[in-house]
Amino acid sequence: MPVWLREYSWRQSASAVYLSLPVRGGRISPASIFCSDQYLKVSIPPFLFEAILYAPIDDTNSTAKIGNGIIFFTLYKKEAAMWDSLTLANANKEKLQYLRENAVLKAHEKAKEETEAKKVTKQENKKYALEATMKLEAAERKRIEDLKEMERQKVTEELELWKKQQKDAEKHKRVQKEWQVHQEVEQLKEKKKEKMNKTRIPNEGTSKTRLKPTKGSHGSCSIFSENLKEEQLPAPRSGATIKINFTSRVFPTALRESRIAEEEEWLHKQAEARRTISADLSELEDLKEEEKNADWLKDKGNKMFAMGNYLAAVNAYNFAVRLNNKLPLLYLNRAACHLKLRNLHKAIEDSSKALELLTPPVPDNESARVKAYVRRGTAFCQLELYTEGLQDYEAALKIDPKNKTIEKDAEKIRHLIQGTTQDS
Amino acid sequence: KIEKAKPIKCGTFGATSLQQRYLATGDFAGNLNIWNLEAPEIPVYSVKGHKEIINSIDGVGGLGIGEGAPEIVTGSRDGTVKVWDPRQKDTPVANMEPVQGESKRDCWTVAFGNAYNQEERVVCAGYDNGDIKLFDLKTMSLRWETNIKNGVCSVEFDRKDVNMNKLVATSLEGKFHVFDMRTQHPTKGFASVSEKAQKSTIWQVRHLPQNRDIFMTSGGAGSLHLWKYEYPAQRSRKDSEGAEMGVAGSVSLLQNVTLSTQPISSLDWSPDKKGLCVCGAFDQTVRVLIVTKLNKI
Repeated sequence: MPVWLREYSWRQSASAVYLSLPVRGGRISPASIFCSDQYLKVSIPPFLFEAILYAPIDDTNSTAKIGNGIIFFTLYKKEAAMWDSLTLANANKEKLQYLRENAVLKAHEKAKEETEAKKVTKQENKKYALEATMKLEAAERKRIEDLKEMERQKVTEELELWKKQQKDAEKHKRVQKEWQVHQEVEQLKEKKKEKMNKTRIPNEGTSKTRLKPTKGSHGSCSIFSENLKEEQLPAPRSGATIKINFTSRVFPTALRESRIAEEEEWLHKQAEARRTISADLSELEDLKEEEKNADWLKDKGNKMFAMGNYLAAVNAYNFAVRLNNKLPLLYLNRAACHLKLRNLHKAIEDSSKALELLTPPVPDNESARVKAYVRRGTAFCQLELYTEGLQDYEAALKIDPKNKTIEKDAEKIRHLIQGTTQDS
Repeated sequence: KIEKAKPIKCGTFGATSLQQRYLATGDFAGNLNIWNLEAPEIPVYSVKGHKEIINSIDGVGGLGIGEGAPEIVTGSRDGTVKVWDPRQKDTPVANMEPVQGESKRDCWTVAFGNAYNQEERVVCAGYDNGDIKLFDLKTMSLRWETNIKNGVCSVEFDRKDVNMNKLVATSLEGKFHVFDMRTQHPTKGFASVSEKAQKSTIWQVRHLPQNRDIFMTSGGAGSLHLWKYEYPAQRSRKDSEGAEMGVAGSVSLLQNVTLSTQPISSLDWSPDKKGLCVCGAFDQTVRVLIVTKLNKI
């Protein structure tokens, strides 16, 4: 049972209530004070103080000062009126209870609101920070752009200046030339006059410059003077041919490093394909045209098998394999032949090859795989390698569990194994 | 605006004098024509030089640069490289063709170099299978060949009219190689440094006329890169057998810019104003650019 604190003293003004509550012994912390707008509670175990206030107060602004063994409350009234007493006089239990609960609820709500408000402010802060950084970056970019723009303008001005300079230089040159030419024309005229007066002396070209007639297409300047040094251009070379070899390349396209791997693969495949075709051609010369078909040969082999001519069947299958070594059925059937011929090792080889080619284990090649396993299993057993045989039989059983013959045979082998282990 | 019957692939002013300014062009049908642009109806020189499109053309001996006869070299899809003299009609003065029976590769680019006196000339040709071949026109022989594993889009010497100094070859897959041409090793050829600039084809390289260690490459992604080559401390050294071997330097990127989404297929510098250049791209625009601060390099 808590100890109720009843000693308290209070005074009030029009707008506030001042309550001082002595608390002896216990340690006072802000968490022990609980206040809502009409309910005040201080709980410092084992002490308890509770008050249902006369009128509602503004609990957000009210304060509690914790002193040495005393709590001093400053409660701001919601309505500025004088209270008759601190607490409500006729407070019955139910009201108390109701108020307590209400207070708690209100406190919860307030807490919730506060957290939400905090969240909102946090978001706003973040946004603000982001905007600030964006502004900074934009300013930086602008600065760089401005620099570039300034540089650009400077350079364009320089360019214009240079262009102008070139034009002026050209004009100047032209004027000079014209003047020079004019002078020479005068000189020539004078010389001509002299010549006419004297006897004709072949003109040895004493003047350094020579005049050339206009190339009519050049518009403005009428006379050009040639270069001072009369270059004697060498005669055209005597024709010759240089023979070259290229680094060999099969493909007509350009060479790219990234494609080398692909190209190698393609060439490899082509080479393989060609090999199979050409290798057979020499040995299969005996066969007629239609007989060079792998399927035809397979059928032939099957027929031989049915007739009991196992050697011939094997022969046919051999040819077929050389033409097309990717058909699992050929190996499968050849395995069966070998079994009949008691070439057990060959039978194992062929069944294994068949299984390899039947690698994507799909329902389609179920029956083929079962056959392959069974044949291999039989071969193993006949070689007295019973464990391997059993393995294969069990694999076959896994694929086709309903096959009674396989089950029976598997049982037989198991007995055999158990029998031999018991003996040894 | 002048239009001709066949589309024109490439052109150069390299072999004409500064007064004449004749344009030599190679077109899609394999014709080499030299035009006087003031009277463009009939070419000054015309020859059906190749059976297939002339991919690349270069001229030397004109424009007041270098010495010797003016010559034009053309490289074509028919695998041959032919050198023409505008004074000799109908037959080339040199013809580099594959031997009989050899399947031909497209020649994608040609360039003149080493034209420091009247007799010396070399022609460098790049092919689509990655071959680069260097032909010496004085001795009429193949001087050097190599393969850079990617089709060669463009070759250029840093200067046509000096003893050959550097050769830049650009290729598919964004790579280019800079060869130091001053020292040729008997088996290893020329030393080189290579750089992978961008993921797309480098269509063209052009050296700055005012500074032969700066060059610009134009790429298939519409970008231009400006590079500077730095020479090594020693340009050649002796290898284990005592033969001289070149040492390649290093290349550093100075600046790059993306102008277009389409490849920039050709580019040229102005010989008069340092930093002024023009480039043409597949988006049907011709752009004039200025590169600044080249003096500070």
